[in-house]
Amino acid sequence: MTTKTTLTERYIAETVKSITPTAQDDVRAELAASIDDAIEARLDQGEPRDDAERAVLTELGDPAILAAGFADRPLHLIGPKYYLTWWRLLKLLLWIVPVIAMVGVTVANGIADEPIGKIIGEAIGVGISTMVHVAFWTTLVFFVLERTGADAGARWTVDALPEVHEDGTGRKDLIASLIFLGLATGALFWDRYIGFAVFTNDSVDVGSGLGAQTRAVAILNPDLWPWWIGGALVLIGAEALLAVAVYARRSWRPMLAVFNTVLAVVFAAGAVYLVATGQLMNPEFLDFTLYRTDVPGDVGRILSVLLIVGIVGVGVWDIIDGWLKTRRAQRAAQ
Amino acid sequence: MNETLDTHLQELRRGTVVLACLQLLRSPGYGYGLLEELERRGFATDANTLYPLLRRLEKQEYLTSEWNTEEARPRKFYRTSDAGIRLADTLTQDWLALTAAIATLTDQEN
Repeated sequence: MTTKTTLTERYIAETVKSITPTAQDDVRAELAASIDDAIEARLDQGEPRDDAERAVLTELGDPAILAAGFADRPLHLIGPKYYLTWWRLLKLLLWIVPVIAMVGVTVANGIADEPIGKIIGEAIGVGISTMVHVAFWTTLVFFVLERTGADAGARWTVDALPEVHEDGTGRKDLIASLIFLGLATGALFWDRYIGFAVFTNDSVDVGSGLGAQTRAVAILNPDLWPWWIGGALVLIGAEALLAVAVYARRSWRPMLAVFNTVLAVVFAAGAVYLVATGQLMNPEFLDFTLYRTDVPGDVGRILSVLLIVGIVGVGVWDIIDGWLKTRRAQRAAQ
Repeated sequence: MNETLDTHLQELRRGTVVLACLQLLRSPGYGYGLLEELERRGFATDANTLYPLLRRLEKQEYLTSEWNTEEARPRKFYRTSDAGIRLADTLTQDWLALTAAIATLTDQEN
């Protein structure tokens, strides 16, 4: 285009360009007439043409807004009709998908025997990129829904009301914690003195007593006694103290969350160290299981990786859970 | 403070422009002429609100339109349809009922 177009022409062109082609000519002609009318009214009052044109177009405002009005398009990404559905779904997916992706890539890298730095780096990278993807695609779907006016099918009913939040400080929680810790202690001793895994030396004759034909083997390495297992018992005792302290105060406190964090880190670090150095399991137990000739050699390593990921995952969740409860308690106190 | 006042006034007036348009367009009118007429009668509206509104009402078949090309400047003339007249009547009744209701509120206060 060589000739300089007027502001009005540019304004109209900018307005109609995003309107459906069938309506474009109509809007163009009508808008042109309206603008000319408005300019003329100002000219009649003695304004110079340039000033009048500028004033009229300024009053009409951003042509994109005007075009949205003509085309009945929303000027927001996601409106009130879909916002809550979008937000709830997004939160749910952000809790689930990145965690699964991170665990998956960690297991895969662990099995491939990658260096620890690379495993951590890739887990973080995959976690971040999954979050970005989840957020983008979820939002895109709702962006389209908003513009097609489809029904998301989510109606609120009173049945959707959540229970008033359990804060995990009641008597039931204390009892559950203590029973669990007691069972764990019992299991350690049972494993040591009786043995959990039962093997037969030969085929079993069901006609006679089974006790004489089988023998029980400890799963955990007996060499862990007394120091490692002693340490575990101390941790179990500390967890019990924590449960009692939470119950006594009927509330989580930052100090308790710190204590909980330390316990989780110490336990996870010790357990991971034992798994990684191959000291956790009883060699005799392994002879009966993983080291049998018909078990592929990789199985042990893969199980170790899964175990480590599981230990770290449980620890991280325990830490987060403690801090979430603390924050909730502090908010409730305000 | 002034901003919240503006918001409340705006919310109260929302919808009155539609009613005013439907009533005024019982006799045909065009965009800018209607804008001035509204202003004169105390329904001050922005051009960028009114023009899309006219199209929307036309799409909803409360207004009909016709191009008048007899004059030097061709203009699109709108006129309230039968459905538009019925809508205007309903809205007017509602407005009158509200006015009466608000009047009783004010009476009780005094």
